[in-house]
Amino acid sequence: MVTDTLIYGRGGDANALDPVHTDIGESVKVIVNIFEPLVAYDDETLDLVPGVAESWETSDDGREWTFKLRPNVKFHDGTPLNAEAVVFTFERILDPDHPHVHSNIIPYYSSYTQIEKIEAVDDLTVKFTLKQPQATFLANIAMFPSGIVSPTAVKKYGADFTRHPVGSGPFQFVHWKPKQEIVLDRFDDYWGEPAGVKRVIFLPSEESSIRVIQLKRAEIHIADNLPPSEVDGLEKTPGVVVQSTPGINIGYLTMQTQKPPLDKPEVRQAICYAIDRDRLIEVAYAGHAQRAKTMVPPTLWGHSDDVPGREVDQQKAKQLLEEASKKYGFSLPVKLELFVMDQPRPYMQQPRQTAIFIKDALEKVGFQVEIITNDIGQHFQRMTRGEHQLGLSGWSADIADPHNFLHTLLHSDNINEIGGNNLSQYKNEEVDKLLDAAQFELDKEKRTELYKQAQQLIFEDAPVLPLVHVPVRIAQRDFVEGYKLHPSSQVRLKTARIAEQ
Amino acid sequence: MFAMLVQRLAQAVVTMLIAVLAIFVAVRVLPANPVIAQFGQHAVPEKIEKEMEERGWNKPLWQQAIAFVGQMMQGNLGESFARPGERISTRLSQAVPATLELTFAAMLIAIPLGVVVGTVAALWRNTWPDWISMAFALLGVSIPVFFLAICLIVAFPAMPTGKRLPPGTLPDLYTEFYFFESLLRGKFQLAAASARHLVLPAIALSTIPLAVVSRVTRNSMLEVFDADYLRTARAKGASLMRVIARHAFPNASLSVLNIVGFQLGMLLSGAILTETVFNWPGLGRYVVDAIRDYDYSVVQACALVLAAIFVTLNLTLDVLFLIFDPRLREASRS
Repeated sequence: MVTDTLIYGRGGDANALDPVHTDIGESVKVIVNIFEPLVAYDDETLDLVPGVAESWETSDDGREWTFKLRPNVKFHDGTPLNAEAVVFTFERILDPDHPHVHSNIIPYYSSYTQIEKIEAVDDLTVKFTLKQPQATFLANIAMFPSGIVSPTAVKKYGADFTRHPVGSGPFQFVHWKPKQEIVLDRFDDYWGEPAGVKRVIFLPSEESSIRVIQLKRAEIHIADNLPPSEVDGLEKTPGVVVQSTPGINIGYLTMQTQKPPLDKPEVRQAICYAIDRDRLIEVAYAGHAQRAKTMVPPTLWGHSDDVPGREVDQQKAKQLLEEASKKYGFSLPVKLELFVMDQPRPYMQQPRQTAIFIKDALEKVGFQVEIITNDIGQHFQRMTRGEHQLGLSGWSADIADPHNFLHTLLHSDNINEIGGNNLSQYKNEEVDKLLDAAQFELDKEKRTELYKQAQQLIFEDAPVLPLVHVPVRIAQRDFVEGYKLHPSSQVRLKTARIAEQ
Repeated sequence: MFAMLVQRLAQAVVTMLIAVLAIFVAVRVLPANPVIAQFGQHAVPEKIEKEMEERGWNKPLWQQAIAFVGQMMQGNLGESFARPGERISTRLSQAVPATLELTFAAMLIAIPLGVVVGTVAALWRNTWPDWISMAFALLGVSIPVFFLAICLIVAFPAMPTGKRLPPGTLPDLYTEFYFFESLLRGKFQLAAASARHLVLPAIALSTIPLAVVSRVTRNSMLEVFDADYLRTARAKGASLMRVIARHAFPNASLSVLNIVGFQLGMLLSGAILTETVFNWPGLGRYVVDAIRDYDYSVVQACALVLAAIFVTLNLTLDVLFLIFDPRLREASRS
């Protein structure tokens, strides 16, 4: 059987294929194969390499970025990809009244608001002017929402562009039947090496056990987002290969630092000492997770290995809590509410089991924990309003930069009733200063140093307990060749081929 | 008879209005903000503010209600919240045919088979055919559809695991009635492909109605069998088949019709489990996804559609009863 179609089985459908209108993983998997940003990730590492732009330079003050575009790049509809198209793409994101944006749902808007001005210098040169130097600028530009869109197609399809996406990537859009399939074909005029298969079909099957059956029957060629135990089973299946890459994510326990008695560092430290994360990984991740030391994953630069970390020590936890209760005058057991989401996330595969494990551990040292389960939307909305005491949370990297973890999750600027991701409402001026400095410093070595210092301070204050970093694992048929999981966990199918059997 | 129908129709309209308003209020008193939910973990306050403004979610409830009714009156179901740019009517034109075809296929199995099994059970009451068929009926109502569906997929490896058509098929059709339209337009290959995809989900979906229909048939047949006029018919020498077909079944059919109508309503709105396992893009899943995604504009629109389905179904049943039940016919005439 020789086929030139790759079938990618997954757990859900996309919600929009217009890059600006989504933050849902299932959409992103498709979008990164249709659209390309100016700058791209290297095929195997997290380094940023030329994409549609073949080179770029920065002014000395770091405020001006000039990109030279690759000549003769075409969109799937034949429109040339030039400076004008790049300007159009960014204006769509930034201009609130842009005539060719038909929804306000632009989840990554804030990642681009540092851009003050963008102009086409000539047909193949674009200049960005920033409000102030921003270390993450290049990484933000490499993110999927700023994938360059064909202005002709955007104008032609209007609000329907999200069902007729036209970009310049290795695959072009063919059709989308909601809940059934999304079909992409190889784009033959692609500027780089053309894709290895003629057609890709994204097939959603909500039930993971059905995806396993489909993979065993080779009805699908790749299955992602399977429970760890299913992947372990498939590892032994003939004809099936399992791939794994450490995910750039963090699953953590947030402690609302504004609510007594969690406003006392001793109490939070006691919680950290009480939880045996190695056991947790066995119980809730079937052994497939890495114990987290800090909020920054070790696969990412800027991770600090010098932070001492806290080994589980229930004696010490008890002692800390008892001393704190005498010192601050509260009585034991301390009653706490633990907020839990009702659906798994990549970094929190079994929220319920995780919550029960934490409850048990904490109740052994003098806490009394009530588990509050909310559906996922409400869970995060209530926690951004700070209604929790303890809560399960996590983060998957948008960009490969420590800023995306430390600033987003622990800077006091990010305490906000709407969308503030500093759920612990952690305020430490020194940490804020370090994170601000690192945001505007362009030298990577200096930034690393600043982030390491911040991680040390955060460790001492313990506003969060970093739990796990969860690997991304997929199962695939052995005849799919050339497809390697990318460390960014982007699904880039350009290099995949179907071997003759 | 006509007056009665008009009265029923008026009742139906009121029922729909109440149903829709109830949903309208219900989605607005839920605690989570649906607009914020669309941004996932990347909420942008200024964009959320603008979206609330444009969608009118900041306005008082009564103003929203007037705007909503006005929009519905124009036949405009609106756009999805969670899937920017997607018209709800487009999705419904896909989900409703998918659901109708599946329901039709399931009923094609459930009704004839259920009537035959029920009749056989009644004829041989309290002997082994009765026991066996009623045991199966009990199994049919109690086996979880979810489990049965997975069993079917495992047991028939040659059949497709889901979807309505093989991957990558771009059907050249006007509607999403893949089976009916391709059959009518003579595209037999496509019709066969879509029929193949219908088989397993239809079997899974048919078990509950099959069980219910056979039990109701058995019971109402038994009631009729005991009636004097049947004994008379047998005594005057009519054959068993003739007695069943001419005398017993028409009488028993009324309660069967009733239960079929009820089951149809259930299948049209709530085949969620079957749809999920078999990746069937039907109405049930559309609603459940919308609830999960806080896609309230879709929830409202679907509530309207479901209410319309139930009301139509009820009206049809009323008319059918008038036709089949001489007592009602007489009553409505006088």
